[in-house]
Amino acid sequence: MPARPVAVALVAAGTLVYEVLLVRLFAIAQFHHFAYMAIGVAMLGFGVSGSALALVGKPGAARNPARLAWSATLTPIALLLSPALATRIPLDATQLAVHPHQWLLVVLLYAVLALPFAGAALVTLLALALEAQRPGLTYGASFLGSGVGALLSIALLWLLPLPQALSFSALIAAFGAIALLRTDVPRAVPVFAWTALIAAAAVTARPISRLHVSPYKGLPQVEAFPGARRVAESWSPLGWVVAVDAPAFRFAPGLSLTYEGEFPPQTALFLDGELSGTVAGGQAMVPAFADWLPSSVAYALGTRERVAVIAAGGGLEVSNALGHGAGQVTAVELLPEVARLAAPPPPGDARVRWIVQDGRSFAARTTDRYDLVTIGPEGGPGNTIAGVRALSEDFLHTTDAYRAYLRLLRDGGVLAITRWLSVPPREPVRVVLAVADALRRDGHAPDQALVVAHSWATVTVLAKPNGFTASEVASIRAWTAQRQLDVDWYPGVTAPTAQFHRLDQPVLFLAARQSTAGEDSSRGFARRYPFDVAPRSDARPYPHHFLRPAALQVFLARGRGEWLPFSEWGVLALFATLAQSLVAAFAFLIVPALVAVPPHGRPGLLRLASYFGLIGFAYLAAELAIIQQLSLLLGHPVYAVGLVLAGLLVGSGLGSIWSDRQALKKPWLPLALLATVSALLGALLLHAVHAVQATPLPARAGAALAALAPLAFLMGLPFVTGLRRLAGTDGARIAWAWAANGFASVVAAPVAALIALEAGSQTLLLAAAGVYGVAALLLRSAHQPGPS
Amino acid sequence: MWLRVVGLGGGLLALVSPATRGQAAVEARFRTERLAMVSAIEVYGVRDRLTLDALRRVPRHEFVPDEYRTDAYGDHPLPIGYGQTISQPYIVAYMTEMLRVAPGMKVLEVGTGSGYQAAVLASVGCDVYTVEIFQALAESAEARLQRLGYAGVRLRHADGHFGWPEAAPFDAVIVTAAAGYVPPALISQLKPGGRMVIPVGSVYGVQNLILVQKSAEGAVTTENLLPVRFVPMLSGLR
Repeated sequence: MPARPVAVALVAAGTLVYEVLLVRLFAIAQFHHFAYMAIGVAMLGFGVSGSALALVGKPGAARNPARLAWSATLTPIALLLSPALATRIPLDATQLAVHPHQWLLVVLLYAVLALPFAGAALVTLLALALEAQRPGLTYGASFLGSGVGALLSIALLWLLPLPQALSFSALIAAFGAIALLRTDVPRAVPVFAWTALIAAAAVTARPISRLHVSPYKGLPQVEAFPGARRVAESWSPLGWVVAVDAPAFRFAPGLSLTYEGEFPPQTALFLDGELSGTVAGGQAMVPAFADWLPSSVAYALGTRERVAVIAAGGGLEVSNALGHGAGQVTAVELLPEVARLAAPPPPGDARVRWIVQDGRSFAARTTDRYDLVTIGPEGGPGNTIAGVRALSEDFLHTTDAYRAYLRLLRDGGVLAITRWLSVPPREPVRVVLAVADALRRDGHAPDQALVVAHSWATVTVLAKPNGFTASEVASIRAWTAQRQLDVDWYPGVTAPTAQFHRLDQPVLFLAARQSTAGEDSSRGFARRYPFDVAPRSDARPYPHHFLRPAALQVFLARGRGEWLPFSEWGVLALFATLAQSLVAAFAFLIVPALVAVPPHGRPGLLRLASYFGLIGFAYLAAELAIIQQLSLLLGHPVYAVGLVLAGLLVGSGLGSIWSDRQALKKPWLPLALLATVSALLGALLLHAVHAVQATPLPARAGAALAALAPLAFLMGLPFVTGLRRLAGTDGARIAWAWAANGFASVVAAPVAALIALEAGSQTLLLAAAGVYGVAALLLRSAHQPGPS
Repeated sequence: MWLRVVGLGGGLLALVSPATRGQAAVEARFRTERLAMVSAIEVYGVRDRLTLDALRRVPRHEFVPDEYRTDAYGDHPLPIGYGQTISQPYIVAYMTEMLRVAPGMKVLEVGTGSGYQAAVLASVGCDVYTVEIFQALAESAEARLQRLGYAGVRLRHADGHFGWPEAAPFDAVIVTAAAGYVPPALISQLKPGGRMVIPVGSVYGVQNLILVQKSAEGAVTTENLLPVRFVPMLSGLR
């Protein structure tokens, strides 16, 4: 096999493993939104390498083989050193707003993280320049390697702890450097290449950087408790699960203020360092306070014989159900490690069945019916209030989800959803509107079927499709009064009745009243509310995103504008990433281009940069939209990311390689086809997802790949055909094309995320289709460059 | 005669060393910053004169680590070690105001931390009982409070979840370390008519700040105030 494509493939694989695992590392070490920002900006390294080579490419083209060899050799070294150095930078992200010098550390962090991306990009770019007659093979190798890397990154997380898995990326890339030794390389390169390989192997076996968790996260705090000890720990692609026994730890969401009893020992559960809940000591031990939790209000209606607990976590709601006399409890939990911790050791409890699955797939597939379907407040409210989940897809709390749960109910069954109460109320308001919407769509009368109650910290929404009887309402009111919980809404209420836990305004009563009055009334309320609380569908599954401009006024009116960062960090990180990416793109692409390219060459460069920028945006936008929709199909975004990345990249790789063998008379045609296929997927994919959701996971994965295949293959063509059409064999033009594509991809990530957030994944796919269409027009109107 | 005056003046000047003159300038700057901080807090809506006067008196820069002294009067929390923080001044002021403190009131504080909140309450004239779970923090806070003249503050290295039963009941309870629930002991140790301010919700991260009021008849109600970030409230000795 030719050495250069092999080297490109291996370096690309290693770099993609690095990228995926780095996001995980930073999500644990810092916070998810900071990880998004840091790594998103660091990927500008891809584009910077293009600008740098464009500036020195043509004059020094003879040195490109040596540059390639050195780039391939230094990239694995950068992959080893980068995370080790990055974790040693004393950055405190919480001080960014008050200590300007922290931003210097951020810039240093970006530079450190960007090095491997820049190195890997140079490898591909230099190989393209050296193999300009057959760019498809080289670019295809890059795609294929990246696709394999996507699968590897998931597999590695099952096999190795994160620090070791990260070092493995260097080992893969080092093999790429070794592959190049078959070509003519400078004398010193073999020494460095073999050293890099040995060092990577050694560090994989014995990591030099340890996992450092932010002291502001839950895990280090609880582990600092007196007597705390870590009792379980496991890694998987779904997260880093840690269980800690600490006598001082207690978890009782919204516990009634009238409770005077004891607290049992509880084991704290953490996911990626954040509090995820508690392991309630096994079902054999039902905590005495369970009956004083607001989430228990459904049991005021009497024993619920068959209970389903969605997103069961550590099992607190499972214990709650057993404590209230349930004869059969189905606990649905996505993370196998968590289910293993929560379930008691054999022989276990015959009343409880643990199912390791995502809640939506379970709801789609099960034929069982229940007296109660319940979802408790996972983790703590901190992340909800802080908006760190604003960017996270969550298919468990869309209107489509609530309809699915309502279909699981027996005659007389109840759906109970408990969420943390934020100030001003946001998520609970959305839940009220969404539940009412779900009831209405299924032909039930929401005004008779809805009860809303709140404590000082949580809100519980009950939905009973058959409607609550007068005696049931009386039972609920008596139960809540005894526990000093407020009932905001029940059938027949005409005015707010909250007396124990006062909010600024009776928002929950107003939301329930308006949402049960009709669809128009519900929409009007959502429109007028300072936050975006309109129900979310599966097409736009961001139920934790609430920010809109009017919300800024709410906070500023309180006189503490600084609270806003605590309230919607996720969205702010998105804007911060976009702003930084635009500035960097200007500084590292546009300015160098203006300096290096003479005026007569700029129109041509503009066309070149526009084309490659457009296809860079469209690729990433389509990828993001498909990942989102397939997250619902596959049950978890990690599996979706892995499958979509691998499928798209491998398919694109094959398409690129095929393009070398075919002289396309109409090079714009694949783009037009891409636009058409993207538009079709935008219109149809989500419906297809719903249609096959009830099938087993292997069948769903196969269906996903089948849907991806045509698109993926076509997506491998635009870059290569564009190179032939617009850049030819001119090394500098190839480099500018690469730079434009690289910068566009980075800028595209936050833009695409914003489109998905505000308009949904279907719109994002249609946007990608439109951009491909514009690129097709650009290519059609272009003339092939002459020989350089 | 004038030579004696000049000589006397020169002698006095010589007694005030450059270091002393420098320290005085630093203290003057801190005072200026402290007054500016309180002015800003007043603009943000805190009106209680006792609280504002106490904040003007208490030298916040003495309660933060040396490396953060120049930031002591910025309106943001600062790390004080052991994963804990000193609350931002506005929150200290707001919580103090919410308690409706007055001279002679008996106040329980859970989470001494650096001792700043306790010093503010003592400066108002309250009878302060404060509990800190970390021994190192308890010892350093106690030494600091003694040095700065707040010797009347009673500090205990103890589990805050159980309050201070021997000194109960309290006119007010202030919790400066977040908890995931409201400890029953704190409610039972609150006098009828008393007020408690506590951040609740997620143990780590942003929480809601709630005001707990116990009526004369003993009924307990709450009122949600605003989002705030606090360190966890710990239970159990270290």
